[in-house]
Amino acid sequence: MFGYTFQWNQAFARLPKMLDGAVVTIEVAVLSMLIGIAFAILLTVFRLSGSRPLKAVATSWVEIARNTPALFQIYMAHFGIASFGIHFSPFVSLLIGITFNNAGYLAENFRGALKAIPDTQTRAGRSLGMSQLQAFRYIILPQMLRISFLPMTNQMVWAVLMTSLGVTVGMNSDLYGVTQDLNALTFRTFELFAIAGVMFYIITKIITLSARLIAARLFRY
Amino acid sequence: MQKTLWATALIAAVGFAGAAKADKLDDIIASGTLRCAVVLDFPPMGQRNANNEPEGFDVDYCNDLAKVLGVKAEIVETPFPERIPALMSGRVDVGVASTSDTLERAKTVGFTIPYFAFEMAVTANDKSGIKSYEDMKGHTVGAVAGTYEAIALEKQINEWGSGTFRPYQTQADVFLALSQGQLEATVSTSTVAQANVKTGNYPGISVVGKAPFDTDYVALFTNRNEYGLINYLNLFVNQQIRTGRYKELYEKWVGGEVPSLLVPNAYR
Repeated sequence: MFGYTFQWNQAFARLPKMLDGAVVTIEVAVLSMLIGIAFAILLTVFRLSGSRPLKAVATSWVEIARNTPALFQIYMAHFGIASFGIHFSPFVSLLIGITFNNAGYLAENFRGALKAIPDTQTRAGRSLGMSQLQAFRYIILPQMLRISFLPMTNQMVWAVLMTSLGVTVGMNSDLYGVTQDLNALTFRTFELFAIAGVMFYIITKIITLSARLIAARLFRY
Repeated sequence: MQKTLWATALIAAVGFAGAAKADKLDDIIASGTLRCAVVLDFPPMGQRNANNEPEGFDVDYCNDLAKVLGVKAEIVETPFPERIPALMSGRVDVGVASTSDTLERAKTVGFTIPYFAFEMAVTANDKSGIKSYEDMKGHTVGAVAGTYEAIALEKQINEWGSGTFRPYQTQADVFLALSQGQLEATVSTSTVAQANVKTGNYPGISVVGKAPFDTDYVALFTNRNEYGLINYLNLFVNQQIRTGRYKELYEKWVGGEVPSLLVPNAYR
């Protein structure tokens, strides 16, 4: 009726390659989260600082990251910046694109978390003799990270899924890229992408479940 | 009694379903439209003109096919990796998309006899210093993901054991990356290479030589089990050559000597 016969064994024969791809996908997602969190904290500090230029940098970063497609950000990192003679490999381009996006969203999460922390916390720290920076570092930041922990998990899931956009910049070692390559070779489209879909689902499920476990342990009190 | 009634109804239903099930050739003629998958960033085989309308060898070929079938042609733009998925999902009837007739793909779709043959050429960024196919060793090269030449080139890079291969999604991205210097060389069909260098959209690149890959024969494709349609398409390809229409289209879009579609010492 549909003119399509399933050949699952053809697709399963390629499973080892796809697992290698899944490792690369996790690699990109984890790296982009770690770097993204670092940049997001920096952006949050910029926003809190009195300096206008720093505030402007942070605001424009967040605005661009949140209001343009992730695909655009990754494509710009590869083909856009290359117009100025600066070249990044597909892996690095993808990493830059996702990190940029992550940092923007996380900075917003952090800002929301900061709003939830009463001013009195800083003042209490100051009255204990801490400097402004020390109060931020020891009192505000830990609470901020704690409040924004679950939104961070969401962002991590999103980072995993965003790796699939790497194909547009010539990335073929991640899960989606490997699947696309195999599809072009064999055209077992449904089978291959179904397997890839299940693998993506499992990866993200592991992330959310382990985040819940970590949260339970971290936030016992 | 009841059982007999049900059985009769079932037989009648199956009978009607059988009668209503014509083959794809009949379906196309009955629907009045032939939907062709064509790649439109692959000049001179498929491209868009200044008015953004599809044109090129493959577009004309689809129009010719629709004409003999007595139906209207509908060009469905399909990027390279989506040609066969487009057919399998029923969005197109036939692929007229410069598709290499690989054995791997023939497990999924049915190919006709070849309707076109490509030679492979190396195009390099002028700054890379690459002057021939062998010069590509150790450099960053790329091609359109999933194409005949991409598969062959990636294999070669792995054999050489040095250099990097990057697959991009479209031919336009490959030439953009080449022009920007992100890629140092690419292998593509010589027709596409010449056409892209000639446009001047991609400064700083030149065709530097031939790639020693086998001639890339490309075929029309449709569903694997549609023998009626495949027979018709085979005859159509044959008639295009017999009537001189193939030569005419070749001169219009490519120019130069018409390549032979015969494989020496082989049946097909």
